[in-house]
Amino acid sequence: MNVQFLNPFLLAASEVLKKEIGAEPTRGELTLQKSALTTDDVTVLIHLVGQVYGVVMYGMPIETSLNFVSRILGQEFTEFDSLAQSGVAELGNVISGAATVKFSQAGYQSNISPPMVIIGKNVQVSTLDFPRIVVPLETAYGNLMVHLALKEAAPGSNSAPEEFVKLAVSRA
Amino acid sequence: MNVKFLNPFVEAAYEVLTAETRQEVTRGDLKLENGTYLTDDLTVILSLVGAVEGTVFYSMSAATGAKLATILMGEKFDAVQGLAQSGVAEIGNVITGRASMKLSEAGFETTISPPTLLLGKGASISTLDVPRLIVPLMTVAGPVLIHLALRQGSANGLRAAQLSIPKAFQVP
Repeated sequence: MNVQFLNPFLLAASEVLKKEIGAEPTRGELTLQKSALTTDDVTVLIHLVGQVYGVVMYGMPIETSLNFVSRILGQEFTEFDSLAQSGVAELGNVISGAATVKFSQAGYQSNISPPMVIIGKNVQVSTLDFPRIVVPLETAYGNLMVHLALKEAAPGSNSAPEEFVKLAVSRA
Repeated sequence: MNVKFLNPFVEAAYEVLTAETRQEVTRGDLKLENGTYLTDDLTVILSLVGAVEGTVFYSMSAATGAKLATILMGEKFDAVQGLAQSGVAEIGNVITGRASMKLSEAGFETTISPPTLLLGKGASISTLDVPRLIVPLMTVAGPVLIHLALRQGSANGLRAAQLSIPKAFQVP
């Protein structure tokens, strides 16, 4: 994976965490993993399509997600209910959205999918032939693991909607 | 969810699975679910971005996945590991790609993400406020469930940042 895709995410994550949670995140050690991700309690998964494509995951323990959501929504959460799930998903959504804006400023157009939330520890998530860069962001409210499995689309195979070519489908 | 989005997937899945397994595929009863999805052994996850956006899951048991990979790749697999994982993910990719072609013919241009594979039973995945339509398909390898959590895209498939500048406005 191209390391230039990493910084927009880290910058976006730092900005969003600072603004929404009031945390000053510090970056932990970066690792590259080829095996499947083993989930933590909560994983927000968002796909990217376009000139940069792949998947981004934000993993965290349940306490961290409750801390984050309590800060974002300004009320105490003790249970990971549907409102808390939306809050955490929205956090991932906002970070990824901000990162794609930075991509676009750098000349890479990409779009993000709606977020989904995986709840449950020790499930394997395989990104297949996409290696993953893993960056822990440490805050006073807990750690957020950012997993990036992204690729750059080959020139000419840009899947941006306006270049969508209608394919002929033969019907038997 | 708009039922117009359903048929392209059912048709594509039927065509692809019939062609690949060379056996009859039958459709079970549709179901609409609002709650979280409790994962089966194997779940292929893909996202759609564009005029239709959201998530598609293909879920099956480990036995079905292994049988399906065996039929697809002409090589005996007892467990879904390595190459068999790619095979199972690829079938989700091919079905979704074909469905997105059909959606485009119907006037909904969408781009699909690369597949992500979830291995492990009992985690729950929330698609948040998007309800899931479930279509069970009976194949020779066993049941494969299609979960569709789709909605009409907010920006009609295009984002301002992706629109090309008309020639008239370009500085010569």
